[in-house]
Amino acid sequence: MKFDNIIIGGGLSGLTCGIKLAELGKKCAIVSSGQSAIHFFSGSLDLLGKVNGEEVSNPLESIKTLADNHPYQRVGIDNMTRLADEVPQFLDRAGLKFSGNANQNHFVLTPMGVMKPTWLTIEDFTRFETKDSFPWKKALIINFSGFLDFHTLFIKDGLKKLDVTTQIKNVSMKQFEAIRKNPSEMRSTNIAKVFDNGDALDEFAQKANDLSEGFDVVILPAVFGLLNKQIVSEIKAKILKPLVLLPAVPPSVPGIRSQILLRKRFQALGGTYFLGDNVEEGFFENNRLVAIATNNHGDIKLKADQFILASGSFYSKGIVATRDKVYEPIFGLDVNGETNGSEWKDEKFFNDQPYMHFGVKTDSQFHAMINGEPVENLFVAGSVLGGANALKEGSGAGISLLTSLHVAEQILK
Amino acid sequence: MNKNNSKEYDVIIIGGGVTGAGTARDCAMRGLSVLLVERHDFATGATGRNHGLLHSGARYAVTDPESASECIKENMTLRRIANHCVEENNGLFVTLPEDDLAFQSQFVDACKTAGIGTEILDPDFARRLEPSVNPNLKGAVKVPDGSVDPFRLTMSNMLDAKIHGAELLTQHEVTDVICEQNRAIGVELFNHAKNEKVKYYAKIIVNAGGIWGHHIASLAGININMFPAKGSLLIFGHRVNKMVLNRCRKPANADILVPGDTICLIGTTSERVPYDQIDNMFVSQADVDVLIREGVKLSPSLATTRILRAYAGVRPLVAADNDPTGRNISRGIVLLDHQERDGLSGFITITGGKLMTYRLMAEEATNLVCKKLAVDKQCETAEKALPGSEKSDLSLDNATDKIYSGMSIAQKSAKDRHGTLAKNIAVGDSNDDSLVCECEGVSIGEVKYAIKELHVNNLIDLRRRTRVGMGTCQGELCACRAAGLLCESLEEPGEAKDDLANFLQERWKGMSPIAWGDTINEVQFTSWIYEGIYGLKPDNN
Repeated sequence: MKFDNIIIGGGLSGLTCGIKLAELGKKCAIVSSGQSAIHFFSGSLDLLGKVNGEEVSNPLESIKTLADNHPYQRVGIDNMTRLADEVPQFLDRAGLKFSGNANQNHFVLTPMGVMKPTWLTIEDFTRFETKDSFPWKKALIINFSGFLDFHTLFIKDGLKKLDVTTQIKNVSMKQFEAIRKNPSEMRSTNIAKVFDNGDALDEFAQKANDLSEGFDVVILPAVFGLLNKQIVSEIKAKILKPLVLLPAVPPSVPGIRSQILLRKRFQALGGTYFLGDNVEEGFFENNRLVAIATNNHGDIKLKADQFILASGSFYSKGIVATRDKVYEPIFGLDVNGETNGSEWKDEKFFNDQPYMHFGVKTDSQFHAMINGEPVENLFVAGSVLGGANALKEGSGAGISLLTSLHVAEQILK
Repeated sequence: MNKNNSKEYDVIIIGGGVTGAGTARDCAMRGLSVLLVERHDFATGATGRNHGLLHSGARYAVTDPESASECIKENMTLRRIANHCVEENNGLFVTLPEDDLAFQSQFVDACKTAGIGTEILDPDFARRLEPSVNPNLKGAVKVPDGSVDPFRLTMSNMLDAKIHGAELLTQHEVTDVICEQNRAIGVELFNHAKNEKVKYYAKIIVNAGGIWGHHIASLAGININMFPAKGSLLIFGHRVNKMVLNRCRKPANADILVPGDTICLIGTTSERVPYDQIDNMFVSQADVDVLIREGVKLSPSLATTRILRAYAGVRPLVAADNDPTGRNISRGIVLLDHQERDGLSGFITITGGKLMTYRLMAEEATNLVCKKLAVDKQCETAEKALPGSEKSDLSLDNATDKIYSGMSIAQKSAKDRHGTLAKNIAVGDSNDDSLVCECEGVSIGEVKYAIKELHVNNLIDLRRRTRVGMGTCQGELCACRAAGLLCESLEEPGEAKDDLANFLQERWKGMSPIAWGDTINEVQFTSWIYEGIYGLKPDNN
C-alpha cells in the first residue's frame, strides 16, 4: 500500500499532523495502536503554564527564555506565533470549539478546586481571567450518587479559599440504576452514554434547577456529550443558572469526544486510519525510510514518501525503558536518556523527574536520527520528542500541536 | 500535659508490630488491663516489610534447629488460629545445577529432627506440580511452607486485644520512659495527631519495639546491643508461582519466592546498616540486581514479569550480652527481664525472633508479665481462633461460594481479607458496593468498615487494612477515590489532599528503584493525572 505520508500514532499529535497534510491534499494514513493521551484530556490545551516553577502570563513571550534544545526553540518563535494563531480555527474545522490567546494565559478550575493557567479551553469548560477570584459567591456542587470520580469536598475546599460559599448535593437518577448494579461501571463515560441516549437530561436538569434555587452557579462533573456533541449545549441551555463543568477522574468525556471528532475530520479529508495496529519495523535505503511493516498487515508493507513518528511518551510506549537503557522501540532511533537507571529519577515524586525529559533526538528540522545521521524522510513530532518536561511546564498540548503543524509544513515545502 | 494520668494500667506495650499486637492480645486475654502505643501505624516496621512467609522452619533446619522446631509448631498453630491470614500453599526446596545435591539428604534429616514433614520429589514431578520452577532443577523437597499476610495477622491480633478490653493508640511516639528510683512506672508520649505530650502509667512496661526497641530501652537508661540488618525484597505484579520456592542450600541472598494475595515476592538481601539509618531504608540498584539475578534462577519467568515495587525492612538482631562486637548474633527469641539484667524493675524487652514466632514471643513475654504481677492464668492464644478465623461453618461457606457465583468480586476479596469479619462490611446497597480500587476489588463498604473499625488515620493506613492502591496501578485511580471517602468521614479536605500527595510519594518510594518498563509508564500517567489535571502539590494543598 502506498501513501504520500504515513503517521505513526493516533493521538493529538498524529491527528494534527494528518489533518494538516490531508487538508492540503496529501494522501495520508495514520497507524494507531489504540488509546492516547487525549483520552485523559483535561479540557484545556496548555502552551506554556510555568517556567522554573513560576506561572507564566504570556506564553509566547516566555518561550524565548526556554533552553535551546526545547522543541519550541527548534520550531522557532516566529513559526510558533503564526502556528499558535492558526490552532483555534484548525480545531474549529474539526467541530471543536476552543477559545484562548497565546499571548495571555487564562485560568481553569481543576478538580482539586485550584486555578491553573492555560492557553485554549474547550467550550464545555469555563474560562477565568484571574486566578484569585471567582465570579460567583454562592455555588452548588451536584454529584451523582455512587459516582466516586468527582471529589466535591476538594472543590468546596478550593472555592472556600476564593471566598465562595458552597453546598454539595447528591442526585440519584433511576436511569443510572443499571450501571450502578455493577460496581465498576459507575464511571464518567457510562454516565455520559446515558445522557447521550435517553430522557435523563431533562429530568436531571429539572432536579438541578430545583436544587439550585438561591445559588449563583451550578458545578457538575464533565460527563456530558460523549458521542452526541449537542448534549453539552443542551445541558447548558436547560440549566437555568450559570453552569461550570469540571473534569472527573479519567477517562475524560470531552477527551474521547475530541479524539473522535479529530479522527472523523481526518477521515472526511480522505485519510486512512488504521486503528488497533502496531508498527513492527521499518525498511531503510540510503538514509530514507521506504516502508513499514505492521502487525495487522503482515507482509503487505506500507510505503510513503514521508513518515512522521508521533508515538507519544512512555505511557503511550513511544519510548521504552528497561533496566539499563531507554530506547525507541520501532526503529531504534537515537534517544536522549541516561543509560544509568539510577539517574532517571528523583526520589521526590513531585520534583522535576529526569525521565520526563527523555525522548527521540532530532536535528533542527525534526528529522529522526540513527547513529547520529538524520533520516531525511522520517520526522518526529509530539511528546515522543525529548528536551522538555511538559508536565512541569504545562506545555504538553502545545508541543503536540505546534511541532506537528510545523513538521507538516516542512513536508509540504 | 499529664492527661489520663489518673488511670494506671497493668501493662503498657510499646510497639504496634505483630509482637506488640500478640502480646496485647495475650495480656488482655489473661485479664490484664492493657494499653498499646505505636508511633506510626500498626505493622509499619519489620512486621510489614518481610516475605509474608509462613515458614515451615525448613530453612533453619540445618543451621538453627531450635528456630526450626519453633517455626513448625507455630506454623501449625497459625493455620488453626489465623486461618483467614494464611494461604496453605506448601513449598519446595529445589536444588539447582549450581547447588550441591548432597545437601538435600542433610536437609531432609535435619527437617525430620525438627519435626518438619518432608517429601522428596522427582524433579519431573516437581516441574509438573510447580510449572514456574527452574526446569533445570536437580532435586526438590516438598515442605509445609505457606504464605501469611502480616498486616491482617497484626490487625486481627489488635482486634482481639480490643475485644478483650485493651486500648490501642497509634500515632503516639514514646519520648521517655518514666522511672522512679529503680522502677519504670510509665511512658511519656508525643501524640502526632494532636501535637501534644501525654503520659500514661502502668505496673509493667513491655518494650516490643523491634529494632526501635534499642532506642526505647536507652530512654530507660538501658543498653541492648542491637544490630540492624536491612533486607530488601521485590514485589512482582502477579503470582508466578503457586508454591513457595526456596533454594535447597544454606540460607543466602534472594533465595525465597513467596506467592501471596495477587502478587509474589522475592527476597531477601542481608546487609548491616548503621542504627541512625533505620528510619531511612531504601533499596539500592545493587540490591535490585541481586534480587533479580537470583530470583530468575528460581523461576526463569521472573525475568519478564513486571516488578511492582521494591522495599526493605530492618531485622532486629540482638548480640549476646557478653559480645559487644555483635559477632555472636542470635536470630532466636530474646526476652530480657531488666530487673534481673539491669536492676530496673517494671520494664521488660521482647525482641529478636521472627514473624512466624510472634505468638510464642508474646506468650513468653506475657508469662513474665503475669509472673511479675502474680497473675495465675494460662496462655490460650494457641487454641483460641483470631477474629476472622472463627470456625463456624467456614468450610461450608467456602464450598457454597464455589458453586454459587452470586457474590461480587468485592465481596469475595473482602472475605479473603477479613475472613468471617467480612460480615460486618455493608453490602447490597448500590452505594456500598461501588468499587474504590479496581485492581484489588475494594468497595466503599470495605473502606467505610476499615475507617470505622480498624484504626485508620490516613490513606497509607487504609492501604494496609484493605490493599487499596497495592495492585498493578499502584494507586493511580483509586487513591483519589479513597481520599474522597476519607475526606467525608475523617479528614479536613486540605489535609486529605496533602494525605493524597503523601500517599503518591510513598508509592513512588517503592516504585523508583524499579522504575522501568510498565512501572515508569504507569508512574508517568499517574503524574499527569494528579499534577497535570488535578493540580495537586506536594504539600499545603
